[in-house]
Amino acid sequence: MVNNISADKPQEQLSQLFGSYKAEWLRDEIYSLYTEPTYLPELKTSRPCLLVGGRGTGKTTVLRSLSYEGQFALNNNDPHQIDSWAFYGIYYRVNTNRVTAFSGDELPVSKWADLFAHYFNLLLCDLTLRFLSWYQRHRPNAQQLDAEACKRVARSLNIAGEVESVRVLANKIDDLKIEFEAHINNVANTTFRSLSIQGAPIDILAEALSQLPQFRNKDFFFLLDEYENFEDYQQQVVNTLIKHAGQYYSFKIGVRELGWRRKTTLNENEQLIHPADYVRINIAEKLSDDKFKKFALDVCNARLSKVHLLGQKANYDISHILPGLTEDEEALELGVKEVTKSVKEKIALLQEKELCRIAENLSPLELYFVDYWAESKGLSVRDVLNEISKDQSGWNTRYNNYKHALLFTIRRRKRGIQKYYAGWDVFVSLSANNIRYLLELVDQSLVAHLNEGGKLGDLVSPKTQTIAAQNAGRKNLSELEGLSVHGARLTKLLLSLGRIFQVMASDMGGHTPELNQFHLSEDTSLTEDIDRDVKELLTSAVMHLALIRFPGNKLTDEADIRDYDYMMHPIFTPFFVFSYRKKRKMVIAAGQLLGLVNSPKVTIRQLLEQHNRNPEDSLPDQLTLFEGYYLEHT
Amino acid sequence: MNTRDKPLLTDTYETIDAFIPDNDSIYIFGTAGEERCAHYSAWECRLHGVDFVRIVRQEASSFVANYKEIDYQILLRNTSQIEALLKVVGERVIYLDITGLSHNIWAPLLRNALALRKQVLVVYVEPEIYSFSAAPKEGEIFDLSERILGISPLPGFISFREPLEEEKVCFVPLLGFEGTRLAYLIEQVQPPGNKILPIIGVPGFRPEYPFYAYHGNQLPLLRTHAYRNVRYAIANCPFSLFYALEDIVKDYPDDMLKIAPIGTKPHALGAVLFAIANNRSVELIYDHPIRKPSRTKGSSKLLVYHASTFVSPSI
Repeated sequence: MVNNISADKPQEQLSQLFGSYKAEWLRDEIYSLYTEPTYLPELKTSRPCLLVGGRGTGKTTVLRSLSYEGQFALNNNDPHQIDSWAFYGIYYRVNTNRVTAFSGDELPVSKWADLFAHYFNLLLCDLTLRFLSWYQRHRPNAQQLDAEACKRVARSLNIAGEVESVRVLANKIDDLKIEFEAHINNVANTTFRSLSIQGAPIDILAEALSQLPQFRNKDFFFLLDEYENFEDYQQQVVNTLIKHAGQYYSFKIGVRELGWRRKTTLNENEQLIHPADYVRINIAEKLSDDKFKKFALDVCNARLSKVHLLGQKANYDISHILPGLTEDEEALELGVKEVTKSVKEKIALLQEKELCRIAENLSPLELYFVDYWAESKGLSVRDVLNEISKDQSGWNTRYNNYKHALLFTIRRRKRGIQKYYAGWDVFVSLSANNIRYLLELVDQSLVAHLNEGGKLGDLVSPKTQTIAAQNAGRKNLSELEGLSVHGARLTKLLLSLGRIFQVMASDMGGHTPELNQFHLSEDTSLTEDIDRDVKELLTSAVMHLALIRFPGNKLTDEADIRDYDYMMHPIFTPFFVFSYRKKRKMVIAAGQLLGLVNSPKVTIRQLLEQHNRNPEDSLPDQLTLFEGYYLEHT
Repeated sequence: MNTRDKPLLTDTYETIDAFIPDNDSIYIFGTAGEERCAHYSAWECRLHGVDFVRIVRQEASSFVANYKEIDYQILLRNTSQIEALLKVVGERVIYLDITGLSHNIWAPLLRNALALRKQVLVVYVEPEIYSFSAAPKEGEIFDLSERILGISPLPGFISFREPLEEEKVCFVPLLGFEGTRLAYLIEQVQPPGNKILPIIGVPGFRPEYPFYAYHGNQLPLLRTHAYRNVRYAIANCPFSLFYALEDIVKDYPDDMLKIAPIGTKPHALGAVLFAIANNRSVELIYDHPIRKPSRTKGSSKLLVYHASTFVSPSI
């Protein structure tokens, strides 16, 4: 528990504060660690909202904060404040094991839709009555729902018998759920006696609530999290409710990118349109780079301030504790001086004062580039130095284009760290605006730093940060397989793409620097099966953050996979060792993309040879774990 | 592990050949392409006093059973059809061999047979060995499943029950060797972090198997700290598992149990029996793997579990 952490070692405190990355695991503690995102006011309006964001972008935290339990916690558990709230949110995470019960060969989809709509009525009524029960516990003197209102709700659910109070209604709904459960378990054999009309019981219940003095002019929100877990037709059922919800309640939907697969209501011609029908809040757009950095800094510093050291609170700024390296500093760390000894000797042998003077003014990394450029272009060092003397500004531009990419080549085929990933700004970039990944990077760095004997507040070395970043990449790669039914394919896709970009980064000679994105080639000859397979793979990869995507040059249709450029999520780049920066792209054919998953060894070779790289290039230390996956002789 | 004075109603045979089903019984079985399911053909020729019901096709929503040369297509969520099949066999003893049957097939069959108060003996053949993975990824030892279809309830075991409070849930994964499946279930179920109570089969089919179970599941166990809560039940004993689940209920009396039977089939049997016995406080969560036919080699012990006697001692 966060409240008791002062007794624990700093490492344990950090793990509790930063290591429980998922809101789902923090439970009640999320409220004590809550930092309000800038887009929150938009969610608090009475309009339906769609909150779109990848795994770990904070959807659950925000939706839970809007729930009545969340608002209560955020208002210091003060029952007297409840009546002053402007809205009451009812949270529900779509439960896969429930909703998949409403599918199968036993019935056509239209029948499943009727059954599911009835279940959803029962569910929302049940959740609302739980809220009422909670409310009555905290505000015992408030006016209660009268018998007439309870009866009307009961009638709309086809509940027989006397229903004179909320408690009786709740019990009857529970009985009805049991009866309905038995029916669904035997669905191919029986028809249910009487289904309710979609949305009708919720409308009646919400209207009755709005008549109570304590809820007059208040908004009710159903906060539906993980909307992607619904079956396609179920999304249409709920879309219909969203579109036609009465004035008494609205929906706030949390969904992963590409998880809202159906945008129509049950009427296939009726679309839900932004902004007419709902407000679309894309977390990535709302928390663009600078806003995210500020938000992330607030989140990390707030958590850091909860660490207690010998009874004292630790007030540190995480952006200062995690120092970065400039390219020149990093080059020195990577041993560029040793590598440039031979070029220095070559220049000395030239015995040309002007050229030696130019060389002396170059940083070690720039000198390394002189040698690198000469070799890759088949020039002499003298030629390159002459070029610099003639066109300093042109050279500067070229050097700036290659400077970062050069760092990946200095320690090629050598053991140990081949590239540093350090600094608060770099960590923010590695997280790609994903707060969960950023917390993980900070956690792993600080804990490793303390385990090495460092003190909290002291600077964490670039080496420690880099190893922590590698570990975070590896951990997320190993977890990917368990994220979805496509997890094994996604892991293979990343292992393959990671290897290709790693070889390209370490062997840059004469090629485009920092090539780390791809887009699909236009190929009209694809079979429907391959096209579907590629679409499924890329959709799943984006949904589970194996890949991130950006709109390409054309006007984009969200569902058209060819309109986008793709990149491995930057969190994986320290593990594979290539650039996390959004830079240059290559073209991959759809068949090759599938080949990276289905026959990786052959396809990796093919793609590397296509880009004039050596497929046999040695593996970095951390990838030797996967030797069996990459090397053909194993 | 607790020592209990409770019955483990199991007949153990060291080999398949040591076991002969009783005369005048019904033997329901399926074949999954594994060596340990290869003996049925020989039995069908040899054991004339036994009627065999061969499940010839296993689908997500239905199965096809062949009995006396006639195929019966049966929907898993049609109690009348399942009962009709079970009634064909009359009052004879039913052997339900779960070795070659998927959970979604044998679990509803067992539930319906017990509901009809049939005398049911569940049969299971241990494999001699599981196939090792040729190119294992982290935590992967064996090569068992092609893929998973995803979470959906077992037919007949759909539950709409919600816990009284979100925190009032214990998630009990019955561990096998495939840590990915555990990770997937944790991701989907999102149980309260401190109430993941894994059960590992100890003793295992072989002495080293519990260590493989730890190794295979180490990533999700470490990540969720669930390794602190591990409990044990004999790997080939459904009743031992049943009692372990009873212990959990005693420790968490107000909680709903979400049990994931992703370990041994005898453990899955124990979980199904427990769900039958405690209908409203238990939910089974299953990910429906597509098994590789070559996942096991050979056969080892054959076990016969007196399921109906356990559930209703009067039968």
